Amino acid sequence: MAAHNLKHALFCAIITIIIAYPILGLNLVAQGTSVALEGATTATVINVFLAAVAVFLFQLFRDSIMGVFGKVPNLNPMAKRGPISQERRLLMERVFFVAIILLALVWPFIVSRGAVDLATLVLIYIMLALGLNVVVGLAGLLDLGYVAFYAVGAYTFALLSQYFGISFWLALPIGALLAALFGFVLGFPVLRLRGDYLAIVTLGFGEIIRILLNNWTTLTGGPNGIGGIPDPTLFGMEFGRRVKEEGNVSFHETFGIAYSGEHKVIFLYLIALVLAVFTLLVIRRFMRMPVGRAWEALREDEIAARSLGMSRTAVKLSAFTIGAFFAGFAGTVFASKQGFISPESFVFLESAIILAIVVLGGMGSQVGVILAAIAVTILPELAREFSEYRMLIFGAAMVLMMVWRPQGLLPMRRIQIELKEQG
Amino acid sequence: MRTSVKKLATAVSTSVALMAAGQAAAEIQIGIAGPMTGPVAQYGDMQFSGARMAIEQINANGGVMGEELVAVEYDDVCDPKQAVTVANSLVNDGVGFVVGHLCSSSTQPASDIYEDEGILMVTPASTSPEITERGYELVFRTIGLDSMQGPVAGNYIASQNPERVAIVHDKQQYGEGIATAVRDTLKDQGVEIAMFEGITAGDKDFSSLVTKLKQADVDYVYYGGYHPELGLILRQARQADLDAKFMGPEGVGNKDINTIAGEAAEGLLVTLPPAFDQKAENQELVKAFQDKGEDPSGPFVLTSYTAVQLIANGIEQAESTDPFEVAQALRSGTFQTPIGTVEYDEAGDMKSFEFVVYEWHSDGSKTPVN
Amino acid sequence: MQDLLYFSQQLINGLTIGSTYALIAIGYTMVYGIIGMINFAHGEIYMIGAYTALIAITGLASLGVAWLPVILIVALICAMLVSSSMGWAVERVAYRPVRGRHRLIPLISAIGMSIFLQNYVHLAQGSRNIGFPALIEGGFNFGSGDGFQMSLSYMQITIFITTLICMTALSLFIARSRTGRACRAVSQDLGMANLLGIDTNRIISATFVIGAALAAVAGLLLGMYYGSVDPLFGFIAGLKAFTAAVLGGIGSIPGAMLGGLILGVAESMTSGYLSGEYKDVISFSLLILILLFKPTGLLGKPEVEKI
Repeated sequence: MAAHNLKHALFCAIITIIIAYPILGLNLVAQGTSVALEGATTATVINVFLAAVAVFLFQLFRDSIMGVFGKVPNLNPMAKRGPISQERRLLMERVFFVAIILLALVWPFIVSRGAVDLATLVLIYIMLALGLNVVVGLAGLLDLGYVAFYAVGAYTFALLSQYFGISFWLALPIGALLAALFGFVLGFPVLRLRGDYLAIVTLGFGEIIRILLNNWTTLTGGPNGIGGIPDPTLFGMEFGRRVKEEGNVSFHETFGIAYSGEHKVIFLYLIALVLAVFTLLVIRRFMRMPVGRAWEALREDEIAARSLGMSRTAVKLSAFTIGAFFAGFAGTVFASKQGFISPESFVFLESAIILAIVVLGGMGSQVGVILAAIAVTILPELAREFSEYRMLIFGAAMVLMMVWRPQGLLPMRRIQIELKEQG
Repeated sequence: MRTSVKKLATAVSTSVALMAAGQAAAEIQIGIAGPMTGPVAQYGDMQFSGARMAIEQINANGGVMGEELVAVEYDDVCDPKQAVTVANSLVNDGVGFVVGHLCSSSTQPASDIYEDEGILMVTPASTSPEITERGYELVFRTIGLDSMQGPVAGNYIASQNPERVAIVHDKQQYGEGIATAVRDTLKDQGVEIAMFEGITAGDKDFSSLVTKLKQADVDYVYYGGYHPELGLILRQARQADLDAKFMGPEGVGNKDINTIAGEAAEGLLVTLPPAFDQKAENQELVKAFQDKGEDPSGPFVLTSYTAVQLIANGIEQAESTDPFEVAQALRSGTFQTPIGTVEYDEAGDMKSFEFVVYEWHSDGSKTPVN
Repeated sequence: MQDLLYFSQQLINGLTIGSTYALIAIGYTMVYGIIGMINFAHGEIYMIGAYTALIAITGLASLGVAWLPVILIVALICAMLVSSSMGWAVERVAYRPVRGRHRLIPLISAIGMSIFLQNYVHLAQGSRNIGFPALIEGGFNFGSGDGFQMSLSYMQITIFITTLICMTALSLFIARSRTGRACRAVSQDLGMANLLGIDTNRIISATFVIGAALAAVAGLLLGMYYGSVDPLFGFIAGLKAFTAAVLGGIGSIPGAMLGGLILGVAESMTSGYLSGEYKDVISFSLLILILLFKPTGLLGKPEVEKI
């Protein structure tokens, strides 16, 4: 056993050097017009060897280290507790939602403008993640092109306002419905594909939408994007310093208060908050309706669900359409927050981040998804000093999370009926 | 009305600045916003090194109106979404002046916020005409526009009496903008345009494009975009014995194109701002950069340096740190800078920004074409 | 005549790029065939192969080695060694612990690994595009003097031949060798193979190593053919190769070859006769269309739903 471990540990250490040294230790640099190799600093080389030694030691004493790790959870006092009862859990969930909504309501008045703006972004991601949660978490359909529907929502608003002068409030339902229509039309033919095929087709669809937006210059402005998207108004009151549209009045003049750019940011935030809460409640309702149960049934066992008479297409299509609808919602808010949109905001990485939020939060769990959306959006902002390493850490975190806690931060629990013990 | 708004803005911005800065009363904060990370970080490096140098030198000479300039740096990754976040944190931090952003698609949404919040912005790199077309008061740049550079290239190509010209671009805001300007100029001059086509930025296989260029039998190819793609096109064109002259904007005039294209880069035509680092009066500055181990020859280093200098000069002339008054001063004054004499028009563009046609050589040097 | 030459030239361009797609696609298709997961990080392994090859070539050049075969062979060996080690390590770290869980889990882990590797190379080597020396230059010219001249470069020939050799060797290996037989057994039924005494962990590792080695070959070839490398190019190539694998029927090695060639030709014909900007739209639309009519790809086996 020891000999085997030693051999394996040595092997792992060598592999570590092979994968780390050439890439880290030998840098390709442009010297004038040619490329030359430059050795990295001694510190880097030493680090590579230290890493190899660490891997060697870890693999050598792997069994005992894992043994120690195995005991750690016992230190956690929560570990031995049984699952909390359903009523308490539902109560806690409700308390959580109320608390977080209350916090969200007072948030803009206690923090700075930048924090409010960031919070708006968090809310947009919450909407997106809740929507994708329906598709991936509940219905179990792997959608890698979710960002396409987000783009449809954003571009619908931008185009409608540019060509027809339609305001945010009218564009909001139109954008969402149009995104839903896209979801429906795409979903109809592709939903009969199985898991991974569906993934690649949706990925392709997302790319197609982005490329079309980029190439159709006469309509969408192509790579120049669309600017001058109006901010939402409150009963015809605008929040800008100057009134941009005939017939509108400005907010600060109506109320006779000093102009402050914060009003606009806070107003937009509150709109996003209302829409996010709306999204949350609607989807929560859906989850308890027969259609929500059908999604989960189909995810768990397609054959069983079909033999119980469920229509596979109808159930999947409903999930896909509803998910797309809320992406359209989020897209409209995003467009009005940015005031300018271009295709580069709708790349595959965006889909991957939304998917990561859903999975990190715990597929199907709304509380988890909200927490994960907050974490994924805010952590990179807090770690600005490490901005260079931001994406590296993000990638590593995704892997580690899947290895150690694949069920997500707060896994979903289904509502069940408990039988009373007889006796 | 106008003045009351201005007063309000001053009041708000100063109070915000006071709240945010607190102890830093004798400082003027200059925000530098651009990509520190991400795919175009190398252009961001140019921007940051130029601006930092300007701030250092101005402070060494006693600052502006006796106050020290403090650089506040922000990373927008050239992502429009992050640019808006950065703009809002700038407002938060009470910064009154920004040097940035780099990518036009970031500058545009950020400038909406700066204009609304009374922050003066000078972009050293964004060339999209749209940025200054919207009648904003506080938006300036220290670089020419796509619509200035395109005609220079177009007129040059037309003057060579080509039979057939192909125009290729990378479907990005910058590349397509210039390519369109070149096409329009050529059309006005009655030159036949055999092809106007986009490619995918980040792509590596251009063999089909090269075959198509060969088939179209063109003698000039104008490429709107950056050097990584053009370098590959040049190389693959040489491999396929395509006999045409290539031309590109300042985004391709970078020594990196030589490492990619090798010999094929010989004879490439590039429209560039005059090489500021070659000017006699800038040699002292160039030496300062070299002493710090930095390269001043990048296209955005000295424009960025100038952006800081203009802000400082503007503050001195206006005798105020109010961005609106500084904007006024910039519009009315004439300034001597490393990129030449700068005067601004109403829109915030320089009245003249010259582009020169250079011939690029395979050893990375360039010579002006007459 | 000229049109025909033009068509043939675009066909050659398409087949060249298609055969390298096929080399990369093998990695996807083998992994999918055996453990049923999409190895999203495979494109990055290919990119790392290209980088290592370039590092080796530059290193040899600075040592003064100028004999082409030595340079090519050393670069190839280095690239294959590093890429395979990477493939092995990625499987060990990111995929083995999550094997057998809900099928989204390995996929997310793979996307995370892909982002991680991209940024690893980005941080270590910088984000700029680095030129790759063209070691094999020149070629044959066909066609008439007036009008269009068709050319077939030595590099393109090298790519065809190498791909052909790799594919044949791999097919033989899978069909004849002991490990190959074990691979097939594992892909049929992992649990059963385990019961029969096959070390499935080793076989899965071997799959990753083989796929990564082929990706490294593609990295070296394409680096020389195109002329530059950057940390992001693996992702796009990976996406295309994966599309090729699905097109041909994922899990099937001849399918990967067929899918790669079809995709390559479709792309070059789109650029040749339509416009380069719609290249990706056409290839993804083609994928969607084929999947609609043949949901398991061109050569994929129809799946039986197990109860």
